[in-house]
Amino acid sequence: MIRRLIAKEVLEHILSLRFLLSLLLTVSLFAANGVIFARRYERQLAQYSKKTNENLGQFREQSRQLFRLAFYRHEVYARPSPLSCCAEGYEKSLPNCIRFTAFASDLPQIRDQGNFTLPYFRDIDWAFVVSVILSFVAMVFTYDSICGERETGTLALMLAGAAPRHAVLLAKYAAAMLTLGIPLAVGLLVSLLITVSSRSVAFGPGEWWKILAIVFLSFLYLSAFVLLGMFISGRMAHSANSMVILLLVWVGLVILTPSFGRIISDVSTKGTTQIELRRKLDEASERVDEQAESGAFGEHPGSMSPDPSDPMNNPPARAKWTIAKTNARNQVLEEHHRELLAQVAGARNLTCFSPVVIYRRAAETVAGTGINHCVSLRRQIQRYQGDLLQYIRDEDSKDPNSLHLMFDEEGCARSWKTISRKPVDFEAVPKFLEREPSLGEFVTPAIRDIGLLGLFNAVFFAAAWISFMRYDVR
Amino acid sequence: MIWRIAQREFLLNLMTFKFALGVVVCIVLTAVFVPILARDYQQRLRTYHENVARDEAELRRVRVYRNIRPTLFRPPCVLSVFSEGLEKRIDVSATIELEQVPQMRGAAAQGNPYQAIFPVFDASLIFRIVVSVLALLVAYDAVSGERERGTLKLALSGNVRRYEILLGKLLAGMMVLIVPVTVVFVIALVILLCFPLVQLTGSDWGRIALMYLTSVIFTAAMYNLGLLFSCLAKRSAISLVLGLFLWVLFVVVVPNASVCLASRIRPIEPRTELDEQILAMRKECDRRVWDSMPESSGGSQSDAGDAFGSYYHRKLEGDARKYYSVYYPVHYRLSTECAAKCWEMERQYLAGLAAQKSLAGRLARLSPISVYENTMLRLAGTDEGAWKAFLDAVQEQRGELVGYVRAKTNDFSATTLFTPYTFEQMEHLEREGEDPPLKLDDLPRFIYRAKAVRDLRRAIPDLGLLVFINLLLFALSFVAFLRYDVR
Repeated sequence: MIRRLIAKEVLEHILSLRFLLSLLLTVSLFAANGVIFARRYERQLAQYSKKTNENLGQFREQSRQLFRLAFYRHEVYARPSPLSCCAEGYEKSLPNCIRFTAFASDLPQIRDQGNFTLPYFRDIDWAFVVSVILSFVAMVFTYDSICGERETGTLALMLAGAAPRHAVLLAKYAAAMLTLGIPLAVGLLVSLLITVSSRSVAFGPGEWWKILAIVFLSFLYLSAFVLLGMFISGRMAHSANSMVILLLVWVGLVILTPSFGRIISDVSTKGTTQIELRRKLDEASERVDEQAESGAFGEHPGSMSPDPSDPMNNPPARAKWTIAKTNARNQVLEEHHRELLAQVAGARNLTCFSPVVIYRRAAETVAGTGINHCVSLRRQIQRYQGDLLQYIRDEDSKDPNSLHLMFDEEGCARSWKTISRKPVDFEAVPKFLEREPSLGEFVTPAIRDIGLLGLFNAVFFAAAWISFMRYDVR
Repeated sequence: MIWRIAQREFLLNLMTFKFALGVVVCIVLTAVFVPILARDYQQRLRTYHENVARDEAELRRVRVYRNIRPTLFRPPCVLSVFSEGLEKRIDVSATIELEQVPQMRGAAAQGNPYQAIFPVFDASLIFRIVVSVLALLVAYDAVSGERERGTLKLALSGNVRRYEILLGKLLAGMMVLIVPVTVVFVIALVILLCFPLVQLTGSDWGRIALMYLTSVIFTAAMYNLGLLFSCLAKRSAISLVLGLFLWVLFVVVVPNASVCLASRIRPIEPRTELDEQILAMRKECDRRVWDSMPESSGGSQSDAGDAFGSYYHRKLEGDARKYYSVYYPVHYRLSTECAAKCWEMERQYLAGLAAQKSLAGRLARLSPISVYENTMLRLAGTDEGAWKAFLDAVQEQRGELVGYVRAKTNDFSATTLFTPYTFEQMEHLEREGEDPPLKLDDLPRFIYRAKAVRDLRRAIPDLGLLVFINLLLFALSFVAFLRYDVR
């Protein structure tokens, strides 16, 4: 019985004008995504390679003397992800570059990212098409699924036969999902075909799994809207009223709610401005200076005469003082960065009452784009700084002429020989190469969002079930 | 007859569920979010006043002419509550220096750059989204719905003409939709005026009146769009689906796609290339300065701290006097020349940004919602034109300041440029302690005011386009309704 009901519903949907419109709109947007992405990715990859090679070339020049490696200021850019066709995550407006030495790292910056006068815009990626267009289509398919049949009188006829209510409900749900699956599947195929046929984009096995995960997330997300549509339709006597409510709910959840995040985040901006950061950095520096004055690091830590034989020089004290200053600065920057992320994450969490926010966050997590990308890059750089410093320490220990003092002052390293000045084999020097996040890194946060989307589905399904069971079909 | 039809339709629409729900949503959104936006404006205004006062205090402490480095602040725009635009995305200040032109960049570096993941919320979003949907919902069954119910046939079988029905429906639709538009504006203004620091000038009131008029015209355009589909489709469900699909295109696809396309059609040079060129030019300028200097160095001197974190010379010995007497005039003459060239490069770069933005705006004119957004930005004074006006004002002020210092220091050759004393006075200088500051009463002060006439002139094309869209859609509806089969 359910199969026959599903077949009837699917046929009805497919023969409707709304299906034709949604198919045309969705497929054309997916195709546009494929074409635009393939060209952009090629350009981005070329720019990334150029900048990475420039950075590596300059780093190679520093290998003439070991201490130079420690003070070389790397400029690392975020690697463009082939999965940004699925969920671009506003990457073009987010920080994309980090400058660092072996001792310290700046905050991530926005470099060469085009026109700041343009409004923040979403690329027409898969997440956009699914979260905005297909959720709207889901609503258009379901607003009259129950009350529309009541109006035409077919619901009473159907229930007068052998079809139980739960079978009708399940059939309507399955038919709506199947119908929605057609533009989604066709669109994805078109986009993938265009993307893969361009020479610049190549997906590895890991990326195909991630694409599958994003497709699964998309179905889960659309399912929530289908169930919501059926719930509202099951609560209303007239399809026009059902449409009005659904439309306003959709506008609220999909268009307005993501904007609320900015307001929430603006309200909680205390402590995350540049002025506040400068104040904190000055205070941290003053605290270390006070410690130095009280003799905590030894005698004459402030003296740094270029003459190494100057009796006023006290390299170990100087090293302790500088290390304390660098650590204090790094800590303030790290806390500030954490605050920036927490401000945005908090605002995003507070808008998680909308499935669209959850879906976009989950898609970005799986694709490894958006804020996750920035965070991952910074973490990788911090790990690399540790590796680089360890390498320099190991090489330095082989030089008997070095003072073996690792601290963030190039002048002292040059004149006092706190770090060795011998040349090193560049091939053996650790180099930074951004790697893809591992499966575990994205699975855990994605599971939380999948769970939330599952919860939305369960709640809407229960609501649709109860409302339909109690629905007066007369 | 038109008036009677309009009255009847008005009452019918007024009592519908969709109208009640739409108005409630508008009221709730305005009442919840406008206080937050107003509070944010008040905070920015407070910061602006503090910054201006701090800068003025620093200016009163300046002892030598080369240390006059005022920072010019852009006052926050109160109408950003209605339409935020670029208000928070561009620098709010520019520091004027003799040696270089201020660089204007995005303000993301000042705030939280990760906030870019959130779209902007302002009062105009309520119109662009909620009121536009409401307009479509009111209009979609105006004709096709009456046909389905059979009332259209009845109405036309009497003494009523088709154009009277259509005009009556338009009038009724507008009377209904003016209610939420007015409610939103009134609530927003009442809330705004409850904040003690918010003061609306006559120009602001004029702009608000125009914004209200624009919102009404835009709502009429969306109503006419719904009316057109209602006149084209036989069933109201089809007119609703068609209207909503087009609405989704207008709201989300066209604005995003236009920016995306503009970035591809008119790409801009990376900022780093410009920075490198400017750096090279400054290095060349420095080299020319050093080439024209005598061999001897600055020698012994005594410096003291001045305003704006700078210093000035209190006492200079023999060689140092000769050295700085040559160095400063050469340095400032060449630096101001170099700054003019840098500004030209910067101006070209900014013109590129503006051209790309303008192209995106033109492409977005496919959507009446984007046309409305552009008009609101211009009327609020938060678009790229307002930013350009601030940049021009900053450059003008810099020009005046350079001219002032040139005049006061005899084209950078007087010692007052770098020390409060003459060389003779330095010989007998014994006194320690504070030196008297310069008298800068005649220094040209920066007062930036947005020009309403200029903003209005920029808004006129889009406003005209909105009116044209209305006329076109109504004409099409009229033609479609004349040929409409009411059976």
